[in-house]
Amino acid sequence: MVRKILVRCFIGIILILLYLPIVWMIVFSFTDTPSFSNWNGFTFQNYIDLFTGQSSNASRINEAIVNTLFVGVFTSLLSTILGTLGAIGLHAIHNKRVKAAYMVSNQIPMINSEIVTAISLALLFNLVASTISISDGTWLETAIKLILAHTTFCTPYVLLNVLPRLQKSDNKIYEAALDLGCTPAKAMFKVVLPDIMPGIVVGAILAFTLSIDDFVITKVNVTSFETLSTMLYGLKSGKHPLPADIKSLFSIIFFIVFAGVMIMYRPKNQAKSKK
Amino acid sequence: MRNTFRKMLATPYALFMALFVILPIVLIAVYAFIDSDGALTLLGNFKELAKEKSLDNVIKNSVIAGLSTSAICLVIGYPIAYYLTKKEFNRTGVMIGLFLVPMWVNFLLRMMSTKAVFGVLGIPLGMGTVIYGLCYEFLPFMIMPIYTTLLKIDKMYLEGAEDLGATPIKAFWKVTVPLSIPGVISGLTMVIIPSITTFAVSEILSDNKIKLLGDFIYNLKAYNLNMASAISLVLMVLLAISMIITNKVSDDEAGGGIW
Repeated sequence: MVRKILVRCFIGIILILLYLPIVWMIVFSFTDTPSFSNWNGFTFQNYIDLFTGQSSNASRINEAIVNTLFVGVFTSLLSTILGTLGAIGLHAIHNKRVKAAYMVSNQIPMINSEIVTAISLALLFNLVASTISISDGTWLETAIKLILAHTTFCTPYVLLNVLPRLQKSDNKIYEAALDLGCTPAKAMFKVVLPDIMPGIVVGAILAFTLSIDDFVITKVNVTSFETLSTMLYGLKSGKHPLPADIKSLFSIIFFIVFAGVMIMYRPKNQAKSKK
Repeated sequence: MRNTFRKMLATPYALFMALFVILPIVLIAVYAFIDSDGALTLLGNFKELAKEKSLDNVIKNSVIAGLSTSAICLVIGYPIAYYLTKKEFNRTGVMIGLFLVPMWVNFLLRMMSTKAVFGVLGIPLGMGTVIYGLCYEFLPFMIMPIYTTLLKIDKMYLEGAEDLGATPIKAFWKVTVPLSIPGVISGLTMVIIPSITTFAVSEILSDNKIKLLGDFIYNLKAYNLNMASAISLVLMVLLAISMIITNKVSDDEAGGGIW
């Protein structure tokens, strides 16, 4: 009994430590002061300002949100397509060496230090820029560059979420579809894709969250293009830790994420071992 | 023959990975051995690195921070992973979700908020607070691989050990711990190298006083890509060695891939 209470306390203390900074931020998003220590009365003003565009950083916040979502959505789309196709192809390959080569290259972006991946991509982009002399970078060019960079580290996670689904599904159903006169492409859409759809959806969500959360690769590879992460980094140099409106913005994001993850983990004991 | 169509589907993926994963790594290896004018220099960049006075301190800080972070994460993370595999502490599986949620909150934000909390509590910023921040950031990466390895352990082994007269404590040390080693090693590799190469955490939580390898490489990138490549190459070689060791252990222990 004592042991049980001690264990509960231990887990509880660690959870409190993990959530303390987040709760702290949420609490101080409800007071009209940019600092983290002076309580200046309860107010919804920060949230109202945020939604009416009255906040002190309104245009900067809006731009960062648009940039982050644009890159996140297209990264998720591209890496889901590439990762799913890769998983289907890899599943059909039986040559052990080829398979191992695929798996190793898939692991590289997952285990390499983010900063090393970032530098390696910077070298690639430099090389491309010097050979086909692209202009200084319009908004769209920068966004595409960032989408490609993000897709690099998101695709492996999609592949690893789809592959187990394929391994569990019965190959014979695809074979049967072919025997019954389906073209391979039709069999793919009618039989294989519906079967592995849960894996694809989880992979797509994971890719999206990885992309919107990325800081290192974004910071190293693009300059005049702000995402939510790089905006936060830009704000840290100020005297106060975080402007009030930013606190309310990220409090909202936290509640969305919290609800999402709790829904994901409720139904089954072992949803997916990810990341 | 019927597989040809499906194998073909991997082509876009293979091309993308070749272009954005393999080629950039080859570029790092090339840039590490040429100088900024493009002339071949076998060890030039490494010698330049050795001359950097700040690097000694950076390496010293990184080793201290990396080792303490992984040790603390292991000491805290192992018991949590262990007890979360027990039904009495984690009935619906939602507890493991609770440990993962903070990962989805932007880490810069968590670090800034942590800094604010330290400020209110009057704790001076320094190595201690940097290590705290790194542990905060990487604890889930230690818990998850250990948790998944522990879940896979067949309960029969434990029952067998107890039937043969082992006390629960002895069974834990003789059965559970050895069988969970692949998870521990996987967790360590996911904490040590990433923790010393993150950038911005030490900057925020030490007011720029302490620099880790990640900050060093980031600053280097601005003026000398060749030196940044050289140090990246060293890091990749270290990582490759640790991966080879991990794979060996996993093969021996029949644990296999964790993630």
